[in-house]
Amino acid sequence: MQSLFSFCVLLFATLVSAISTTGDRLLVILDDVADKASYSKFLGDLESRGFNIAFETPKSETLSLFRLGERAYDHVLFLPCKSKGLGPNLTPNVLLQFINADGNILLTLSSGNATPSSLVSLLAELDIQLPIDRTGLVVDHFNYDAANAADLHDVLLLPPPGSVRPDVKDFFSAGTDASKEVLAFPRGVGVALGGGELLTPIVRAPRTAYSYNPKEQAEVVDEVFAAGEQLALVSAMQARNSARLTVVGSAEMLQDGWFDVEVKKVGGQAAKTFNREFAKRVSGWTFQEIGVLRVNWIEHHLNEAGASNESNPEIYRIKNDVTYTISLSEWSWSAWTAFKVPTNDLLQLEFSMLSPFHRLPLALDAAHSSPEAAAYTASFTVPDQHGIFNFKVNYKRPFLTNVEEKNTVSVRHMAHDEWPRSYAISGAWPWIAGIAATITGWLGFCALWMYSAPTDKKKESKKTQ
Amino acid sequence: MSANSLQVLAAAGKGESTRTALRVIILCLIAAAAVSSRLFSVIRFESIIHEFDPWFNFRATKYLVANGFYKFWDWFDDRTWHPLGRVTGGTLYPGLMVTSGVIYHALRALTIPVDIRNICVLLAPAFSGLTAFAAYLLTNEMTTSNSAGLLAAAFMGIAPGYISRSVAGSYDNEAIAIFLLVFTFYLWIKALKLGSMLWGALCALFYGYMVASWGGYAFITCLLPLHALVLICMGRYSTRLYVAYCTWYALGTLASMQIPFVGFLPVKTSEHMPALGLFGFLQLLAFLDYVRSALPSRQYQTFLWLFAGGTFGLGLAGLVIATSAGIIAPWGGRFYSLWDTSYAKIHIPIIASVSEHQPTAWPAFFFDLNFLIWLFPAGVYLCFQQLADEHVFIVVYALFGSYFAGVMVRLMLTLTPVVCVAAAIAISTVLDTYLDARSPDPENAKAEEAVEGATKKASKSGLKSTTKPLVGIYSYVSKGVVVTAMTLYLLLFVLHCTWVTSNAYSSPSVVLASKLADGSQHIIDDYREAYQWLRQNTKDDAKIMSWWDYGYQIGGMADRPTLVDNNTWNNTHIATVGKAMSSSEEVSYPIMRQHEVDYVLVVFGALLGYSGDDINKFLWMVRIAEGIWPDEVKEREFFTPRGEYRVDDQASETMKNSLMYKMSYYNYNSLFPPGQAQDRVRQVRLPEVGPTLNVLDEAFTSENWIIRIYKVKDLDNLGRDHASAAAFDRGLKKKRAAKKRAPRVLRVE
Repeated sequence: MQSLFSFCVLLFATLVSAISTTGDRLLVILDDVADKASYSKFLGDLESRGFNIAFETPKSETLSLFRLGERAYDHVLFLPCKSKGLGPNLTPNVLLQFINADGNILLTLSSGNATPSSLVSLLAELDIQLPIDRTGLVVDHFNYDAANAADLHDVLLLPPPGSVRPDVKDFFSAGTDASKEVLAFPRGVGVALGGGELLTPIVRAPRTAYSYNPKEQAEVVDEVFAAGEQLALVSAMQARNSARLTVVGSAEMLQDGWFDVEVKKVGGQAAKTFNREFAKRVSGWTFQEIGVLRVNWIEHHLNEAGASNESNPEIYRIKNDVTYTISLSEWSWSAWTAFKVPTNDLLQLEFSMLSPFHRLPLALDAAHSSPEAAAYTASFTVPDQHGIFNFKVNYKRPFLTNVEEKNTVSVRHMAHDEWPRSYAISGAWPWIAGIAATITGWLGFCALWMYSAPTDKKKESKKTQ
Repeated sequence: MSANSLQVLAAAGKGESTRTALRVIILCLIAAAAVSSRLFSVIRFESIIHEFDPWFNFRATKYLVANGFYKFWDWFDDRTWHPLGRVTGGTLYPGLMVTSGVIYHALRALTIPVDIRNICVLLAPAFSGLTAFAAYLLTNEMTTSNSAGLLAAAFMGIAPGYISRSVAGSYDNEAIAIFLLVFTFYLWIKALKLGSMLWGALCALFYGYMVASWGGYAFITCLLPLHALVLICMGRYSTRLYVAYCTWYALGTLASMQIPFVGFLPVKTSEHMPALGLFGFLQLLAFLDYVRSALPSRQYQTFLWLFAGGTFGLGLAGLVIATSAGIIAPWGGRFYSLWDTSYAKIHIPIIASVSEHQPTAWPAFFFDLNFLIWLFPAGVYLCFQQLADEHVFIVVYALFGSYFAGVMVRLMLTLTPVVCVAAAIAISTVLDTYLDARSPDPENAKAEEAVEGATKKASKSGLKSTTKPLVGIYSYVSKGVVVTAMTLYLLLFVLHCTWVTSNAYSSPSVVLASKLADGSQHIIDDYREAYQWLRQNTKDDAKIMSWWDYGYQIGGMADRPTLVDNNTWNNTHIATVGKAMSSSEEVSYPIMRQHEVDYVLVVFGALLGYSGDDINKFLWMVRIAEGIWPDEVKEREFFTPRGEYRVDDQASETMKNSLMYKMSYYNYNSLFPPGQAQDRVRQVRLPEVGPTLNVLDEAFTSENWIIRIYKVKDLDNLGRDHASAAAFDRGLKKKRAAKKRAPRVLRVE
């Protein structure tokens, strides 16, 4: 009965977790619940992917991200709010705590509204700088939408984002035909990212874009907050616990009005926006539907002929041959797939005590792989140094959840009976011969002594006197 | 009736077998006294292992009992010296643990199941009984007096100098080593007297046991050749000496080389060279002896000189070459500090930091040996009077024992046996002389008193020995006075020993005792409280960083891995811990991360006035760290400009920012009204605002604040440094103005 019940729970759990690996409770925070109409397609997409959406205004008394010390929601989506603050339920500390408790946040900004101070200080903690006075507008006089913003140049048309670095897996680029699709970024706020390795820009502004304050700098832009590629339009932060926070500079780009509309590049052709697909990918990444890695199992064992085949022993001996295998899966929208390391990247194993003694690339092990899981393996000889060592796999890449696995083993010295016997060492033969010679010589001397009678007894007695 | 029975008793007392029986009974009583005087700590506290090193020995014994001898031999201990580990089986003296293990298994075989802890606790008292017996045997070799041996046994049994290392619970190597030391000396004297190969072999056997038990075996290794050398220089070379020494050296060295920790040291290090050199020298002497019998004396003289000179030169050159080539290790640091007491202070702070390696203060001699110390020279003088081979041994031993005891406090232990023996000889001579009621009968004595001078000269013969007993002991008054005085001294000695044992040497130091106002005993049990907390509340492999003094206790009581412990084999690792303790948080944190430290433990005595705390030991940590990183840790910076070591608001910035200072005084202010925080050890008032800690969380503080445990924080989840993360948690906003002034660092992907 109990097992049946637990089976049902398990089944239910697998069904529920079919959309995101961390849960399906999504809270949308917006000024007025009626505002959600303009995001109906985006929210509809989310709902169709299986999210359970709740709507709250920041002022709501019942709003609480935590209940009885546990997260009440798995993900939070912030749509722009007019209010200056977000009230006592959404202080920066609470939001930080939410991230620390593995909650994901998708944050949208808008040049029309000043960003609430609570979010500003949260972003400041993450080293994401907003323009001064919490508002700004990104314009580009070369890459604007001629159809909708011919005068103000505040709707940017961008090529679909490519990968940030050659070794980073690309989650956001367009499908087959990249040249025809463009991303519309209407009336958005650009942010400047600090140098931390947890931050990654998803979409950067074109080289000719800049940010200014339309209220104060309407006449002359004397001090530019940031310009060009330093201006991140959509940026991602993944904390050490793999909780994700995405800042989308323009909330408007998620609105129905910018999904699949025709835009026209300066001196170019009319094209359809890529916004709907991009919104899906950004939200999917933020809410842990893609780019989630899982370690299925780790196994290490002695790789010596005749040695015991015990898995994950706690102790090895110096100079043992050892094989280490790790199995990794990647969650991609709806299923676990085998994780393929990007072509320019390496998955590495460290065997370290204080500092690595070995740093080895892990190679795909086809024998232990399946469509759901890929096994990577490395074999090596344990160094000639006893101590407490760690098998370490430390794989932290932008857009992929962190893999930091540490398996501790002791490496002991040679036991007294594990050395080769003396006769097996050719260098010892002279000494063995020496011992043999001494023994035979001694025995011979004894025999000689015992069987030779003293000849002159008188002389000897004199001596002793 | 009563007269009759007295006569019977007196008659019985004269029989040899009765005397033997009496001697056995007396020795048994002495052993019982020796054992029972060491039980104060068990009665006052409980059956518990004491101090620091015994905790390791206890842990090792448990491992031995649980895993068997071969596992013990190959033991790689991954719970100390994290992450280096320690090849424990090969770096300890296994004699003590094996002895306990054998006793444990023997008792089990006899179907007497005894907890291994109780065996460990009571091993030292049990062996002290045997030591008393060994002292009896050794003294009997020196003198014909029957009482000397018994007195020596009694002294040995209760002398505080020995009790200090052998109370119940003091489960250290010395517990069995002193017995082995005395017994080996006895066997050596026996072998030398008889020139017997059997006794020599027995001596080697016990020498081997001694090597297996204590690093102090080098004392025997050096003393026996020295004795032999002195005998040779006195022209007392004999085949007895040759046989005894060669048997002992050959077998003993082989035996000692069987101990993994000793291995090839007997042929490689300078400490063992005297024994080896004398072994060679004796062969030469034997050869020369033979040549002398074969050659005429004139030729022999030239031959001797040439030969001796050549050999000496060759040997010296060989030694120098071998030392400079690195084949023979030069003297170790601990050995240098025996010759120059300030050597360690300058060169090896880790040795100097141990209190028992300090030079002895002179009152310690009276404290540990009481009236034996002034009888000791008298006993040595009496040895000079007779000066047979065995007396030379006592003289040599006395000389060197006193020197070493003066240099290093703990070596008082090796001096104690010879003091007991010499003092027993002195007292027994006095008592034998003065207690002899029989020699002059009362009437004669009175008559003789009148004509004192005349009678003396007129007495029977000119032989000095026969006139001797007639000198000065005719009056019962003088006899009475001397005997009474001696008895008083002996009684006072017993009183003193009991008092010292009870007050100075019976504290387990794991548990502190104090007296309340009403005189009742109050137990301060912070150490065990903290260790128990660690045992119950931390992961099984949580690494604890503390100063090395507490390593063995954490390993033994809390059963958690430690970074460093009292086996100070790796100075760099200790210096690393010293650096982490004495640097600022920003410097310490990466060190702690690298060593996977989970908890940091500090001892803090300011609340209770417990002076043995880490702030008082702190300068040693700084010095040891400075030895390795002279550019990063500087002792000078921990002092005020006027050169004072302070912890109040005058303390230097480096001191205030050091992790040790912060951990000690963190939150200490909260115990007092504002501005009233008081350090009762240093007797100062502390700054009004206490230190802040960013990289550590307070995890546990014991009842009297003696032990404080901190948990090392993980890296910040959002990639901030700990100081700003902590500032944010305290509700401080990031200062944007400061950000603005500095040019922004452009981000490059």
